[in-house]
Order: sequence, then C-alpha cells, then structure tokens
Amino acid sequence: MSRKIIPFVVAFVLVCLVMAVSGVFAFSGTVSAEKFGADVAWSQPYNAPESMKIIDLTGDGKDDLFLQTTDNVSIWDENGNSLFNFGYAASKTTLGDVSGDGVEDIVVYYNGQGMSVDIIDKGQQKTIVTSLNIGAPSRVAIIRFASGPQIILGDNGGNLLSISLDGEPLWDMSIGNAEIRGLDDARINGQIHLAAASYSGVVAVIDSNGNPVWQYSQETLRRMRAFDLNADGNSEIITGGEYGALNVLSAVNGNILFSKTIGQAVSEVREVELNGDPSSREFVVGGKEGGVWAYSFNGSTASQMWSGSLSDKVNEIAGIDVNEDGKEEAVIGDDSGNVAVFTESGIRNNLPKRPGGITRIDVGRLGNERFVVVADLYSVEANKMKFSSIPGFQYAPLLVGVIVSGVILIIAAILASIPKKPELKVSFQDKSRESLEAERRMLKESIADVERLRKSGEVIGDAYLARLKRLRADLAENEAAFKTQGFPIKVETIQCPNCGGTLELGMDKCEYCGQVLLS
Amino acid sequence: MDALICVGGILFVGVLIIFFYLLNTARKKNSPPAAPGKKDYLPVYISLADKPLSIMQGMDKLRRDAQKMETAGDKWRWVPMIIFFAGVGLMLIDGILMLLGYSDFIFITGGLVLWVAAVVMARSLRRSDLQDFSPRYKGTKEILYTLRDDLRPNSTFLGHLDLTGAMLPTKVARTSKDAQDRTTEYFRDEWLALKAKLYDGNILRVSAIQKSKKRKSYWKRSRISGKMKMKPEKFKGTEHDLKVRIVANPEVYTIARASPTFKQGSSIGKYTIRQLNTEGGMITFIANSPFEEVEHENILQVLQSAYSLLQRKAA
Repeated sequence: MSRKIIPFVVAFVLVCLVMAVSGVFAFSGTVSAEKFGADVAWSQPYNAPESMKIIDLTGDGKDDLFLQTTDNVSIWDENGNSLFNFGYAASKTTLGDVSGDGVEDIVVYYNGQGMSVDIIDKGQQKTIVTSLNIGAPSRVAIIRFASGPQIILGDNGGNLLSISLDGEPLWDMSIGNAEIRGLDDARINGQIHLAAASYSGVVAVIDSNGNPVWQYSQETLRRMRAFDLNADGNSEIITGGEYGALNVLSAVNGNILFSKTIGQAVSEVREVELNGDPSSREFVVGGKEGGVWAYSFNGSTASQMWSGSLSDKVNEIAGIDVNEDGKEEAVIGDDSGNVAVFTESGIRNNLPKRPGGITRIDVGRLGNERFVVVADLYSVEANKMKFSSIPGFQYAPLLVGVIVSGVILIIAAILASIPKKPELKVSFQDKSRESLEAERRMLKESIADVERLRKSGEVIGDAYLARLKRLRADLAENEAAFKTQGFPIKVETIQCPNCGGTLELGMDKCEYCGQVLLS
Repeated sequence: MDALICVGGILFVGVLIIFFYLLNTARKKNSPPAAPGKKDYLPVYISLADKPLSIMQGMDKLRRDAQKMETAGDKWRWVPMIIFFAGVGLMLIDGILMLLGYSDFIFITGGLVLWVAAVVMARSLRRSDLQDFSPRYKGTKEILYTLRDDLRPNSTFLGHLDLTGAMLPTKVARTSKDAQDRTTEYFRDEWLALKAKLYDGNILRVSAIQKSKKRKSYWKRSRISGKMKMKPEKFKGTEHDLKVRIVANPEVYTIARASPTFKQGSSIGKYTIRQLNTEGGMITFIANSPFEEVEHENILQVLQSAYSLLQRKAA
C-alpha cells in the first residue's frame, strides 16, 4: 500500500473509533453539565436531632416539622417556629396514626415512671402506659399487622415488647443481648410482619403473635432496613455489619439474595429511586469511613451502580428528586458537616458545608414550597434546592469527537505529505559490460584483501564477517546486474535460506548464522 | 491530601515533559555533542561502480532527497505544539465549567486525546529528521571531481564510500584485555576504497582507513565506599591510514627509488609516510595521520606527491 494512503487509512480507523465512542457518550446520556445548589430559607438552633420528618402532625392540612432528640420532642411550623415542645428522658419516637383520626401521631418510648409510652396527638400529650417490663429505649415502631396495629418497643438489651395502641402488653421476646438496631415492617405475601435486628447480629422476622418466622445471625450489626425492592409483596431486608458485611435477605425465609463486603462499617442504608424506573429499586449504602455505594435490585439480586465517597462517616442518606426529572438524587450528609448530591451516574455535587456533623435530612413541602431540611449538631436549616444544567450539553462529546477527528485527519494529511526517507545504501553502477566486469574484479580483489587481513590477524571475528558479507552482497548485486543486462555470467554466489546472507557457491555451512546448506 | 499532591505533582511533571518534548520538536533542537569520535552522521553506504559524473550526480541527488524530506518535515514542526495548546484550550472549557459549578470531564478527555495525537505527530516528525552528512561525503565527491579528468575514457571508479560509522560493533577488528581485565576494542573502518584506471595507463588503488580505540565500560569497587561502581566506556583516540598502490604503466613511466619530496618519514599535509615500496613496477605506501579528522585535500596532496616518484620515459 502506498505510504501516502496508509496515514489516511489509520486516520480513518481512528476517526471511526473516536466518533463511535463520542456517539456512545452522547446518546447514552452519561455526559451532562448539571449544577446543584441550595438557598437557606431559614435556620433555627436545635441540637443534634435523632429523628426528623416533614409531616402534618396538627391536622391542619399543612406539613409541619417533627424533631426529636433524646430529651426533647418538638413540632415546628413551616417557618421554623416551635408549635409544641415536650421534655423527655432517653426518648425514642415513631410516627403513626394511633388515634385513628387520619392524622399522624407521635409515639414516645421513654424513661419516665419506669419505661413508659406517650402518644402525642395534635399536640396533646397522653401517657398510655408506664412501668413496662423492658429496658432502656433503643427503638420503637408501629407495625400494622393484619390482626391490628401494635406498638413494638425495643430496648438496649435485645428485648422486644409489643403493646396494643392503648398500652396493653401483648407479647415479648428477645433477639440477642445487645441493643435493638432496627425495627421495620416487612411483607410476606403482602402480609405485614415485624423485622427486627439487634447489635449482636441477630435478624428476625416475627409475626403478630411474637413468633419468629425465621431468625438469622450474622456479624455485629449496625443497620437494618426492610424494603419491598421489587414490589412482589415480599420485602427484602438489608443489613449492614460492623465489619463491612452488606447482605440482602429475603423476608420470606431469610435466604441471602446478595452479599458483599464493602471494607468499612455500614453506617446507613436507604432506598433511593436513582434511575426513575420503578421495576428496579435502588438502595444507597453509606460507610463509616465515608464510602458511598449505590446498588440496583433487579428482583433476584443486586448489582453495584457506582461508588463514591465523602470525607467522614455517612450519617444520613435521603432520596430527593431535586431536578424533578422523575429520578431521585441521593442527598448524603457526613459527620464533618459535608452535604453532597449524588446523581444517578454517581457524579458528586457539593452543597454548602455545615458547621457540625449532619444528623438528619428530609424533604417535603413546608408552606407552599418544597424544602430540603438539613439538621446538624447545632441547628436545623430549611433549604430551597437549586438545579441548573446546560441545555444540549449531552451532545458535547460529539463536538469533542469532531474536533479530535479533524486534528487526526490534519495530522494524517501532514504525515502523508512528507516524502519518503531516502535509501541510505545506494549503488552507482554503470551497466556496460566492461564496467560490470571491472566492478566484479574489484570486488574479488577486495574479498581477497579481507581474507588476507584476516590471516594477518588485522581484522578478525565479526568485523571480518561483516565486511565479507557486504562485499559478497555487492558481488551478488553485480551478478544480478549482469543478468539484467543479458550478459553471460558464471554465478558464484548463493543466498543463505536462513539469514539471507550472500555466500560463495559450494559452501556447506553459512558463515554468518551456521545454517547447513544443501546445495 | 498528600496523595492528591503526589498525583498532582506526577501529572504536572508529565505535562512538563510533553510540553518540552513538543517544544524541542518545534525548535528542532540538535542532539547534544557526542563523545569524541562518536559524532553521529547520516549512515550512508555507497557502492561506486560508475563514471565520475554519474557518481557525483547521484551523490548530489541523495543530498537533495534528504534535504527535501527534512524541509518537508520542518514546515510542520510547530503543528504538534499548536495541537498541544488546542488541547489546553479544550481543557480550559472544562475549567471554566468547573468555575461555574458544573463538574464535567469530557473536554479534558478530548484535550488529553489531542495531546496524545500531538506526541504521535511530533514523534513522526522527529523520525523524518536526518543527521548531517559527514564532511567525508563532500570530501569524497571533491576527490572524485579532482580525479575525473585523469580517468581512462569509458572506465569507471570502483569501490565504496562507507560512512555508516567508525565505531560500529561490526567494525571491531580485534579486542584486548589489560592486567585489570578491562577490555579495549580496536576498530578498523575502511571508509573509502577506490580503484581507478587512469588516463596514462596507471592503476590507482586508494584505501582510507580510520583506526579507533575504545575501552569498554566496566565495574570497579570504590576504594573509599567499597561500593561497586560502573566506569563508563572511554574513547582512547583515533588515527588514519591511507593505503595507496599505483601500478605504473611500464610503457610510460619508470619508478624512481626515492624523491626528495616523497620518501619514508616525509610529512605531507596531515600525513606522514610510514612505509614505502617501489619494487615490482608498483608504488605501494602507507601514510599515517594522528589527527582525528583528515580532510580530502590531504589525501589529494599525498596522491599528487606520490606521482613525483614516476618519471616519464622519453618518447
């Protein structure tokens, strides 16, 4: 192929490659220029809430802000002003309609007259039971079993106590001997059961009578959440261990559907609908060293979508559709006060840093606008999220591809225009018979001269062979010139079939490579 | 943070290396002077078996072709640098986007691809660079030009001009070892061999040989630290031999035993006559020069002086 064509062929292949890659990036939508930001609507001091939720707790049809610490339960209005404020000791809370009025109530499990439970209904505090036979509060949940709702209390010794909505103890049991780390409702064939887990690593699914459906034990456990990830009426239970074990268990029988070790303690797990496709649900896992992983559950197992990181222990993960594209972004806060938005593809966008470690994040409508409320160690802040993107930026890879392709073609054209390197071994040969014969004599004289130098020890070894090889090659060229011109010639050289070196006719062994010759 | 600084530092050094590589390509920076006796010239080998005019025209053509290739490459030497800056420009777009709060790397990726393209092009352009022609190339042409009219009509110069290098491994004539087991290589480079039938019936054979000596690198234990250290190879000098044989036409010339200007031990230009034999109707001599380079004028001067031994017979 002509050396003028080769650069263009190579360039064509490269251009095709570049444009194909550009096309894949452009049309897969993986490239985008998006910017997330937040404007602070209001900020109020409040120390380290353990629980926070935007929800209507007053029954006025407008959402309020529920906040709870170990010693306080508060309800704030849309502007961050306190509506109700209750003091407690070592309290844990959950939300649910206990009174049946269609408005969520606050269930408070606390250390009062012994272990007690209060219901706060539209700001009205009512103690339903005291002196319960259970340890210090760790978790509380309202589980709406098919047989009726129950309040489940979990203490710091691994004990569970179920009470009715009017405070009547129903059943109790123990799962391990360390604090309860998770209480959630899990569905089996559409029927609600209790999923409970303790720090000692015991996970159990329990029916409405307090009988375990199954029980499973794993490494020391930090987090347990139950979600119906594939909407088949059977929940999946996600557990995260102290030493990095991440498991997805079937709520039906406790079979492990997915298991992975992430290399650091699991500090938080939340469901986030990252890809906007309800047929596959995603969940995001946060680690104690700041690692963030997103997984997609396809109905039978999970696969990792991306991984990222923050600077410190991940304290909270919230799924928020910031840009209103039908896909939730994961808003994640860490123990150093960093808040970041992770998109579907795992691209991290930082929001303004907070002075203290993030404790809770929630999204909802406060007043007429949607806010992201972020709570840290010192304050609670309502943020109006901002999102902007450059329209059409997804096609930027095509532009880059065209530029790169253009440069490649220019380079090919330049390289093709450079003439071939001249041959540096040249022969100026007169083709007349007399000249060729004279040249032949000269070459033979030179060969004889080299032989004489070898015998005298003046030129030996490789130098002798190299010189001889070159002279014999010239002799072969001379013979070829004779033949080309049609002059009779007695051929005196042969070529080594192995190394190609020219040898004198009749030699049995190549002097250059040692090949045995059968001529 | 330390890792970030480390990676950033490595990337910065990488960018600097690419930048200076392209800058040197653009400036056509010459390679640094080599050790004595090792200056690299264009490795040309020419078989001579033609009439003087054809040889000289061929030599001129070779020089022209080389020049043409080099000039064609030189025209585009700044292009890789421009492509490099185009890459920087693309990356700056991402920089600006980042300043505006958007995180994106597509233009940076494009810029990196352009840098790779720039390096590939620079490398190709550098490969089109040719070293200089050795002064011996021009000198040989001058010798052929000077002798052109002395050549018998319709006859040709025969021989070769070998400018591939005086100290190639294939030109190691012999080696020796000293008491400290250090190897010295002796090179023999017959860079010019020429045979010509002259107009007056004489036959002239000329061989110009460069003999060089080099001590190979070796390992030696330091007397102070006790560590093994590698001593680099050392060029130990070079000298030139000019071997000439003139077979005199007995019908035209008689050979004198000696001449006041041409006898053993006489200095002619840079050469000194070391051996001289005028027996058997031939003048055979070896002239030696301790100089690192011997110009063509010196060779012609020796040849001219050798003719003083020939005495034309009376008609």
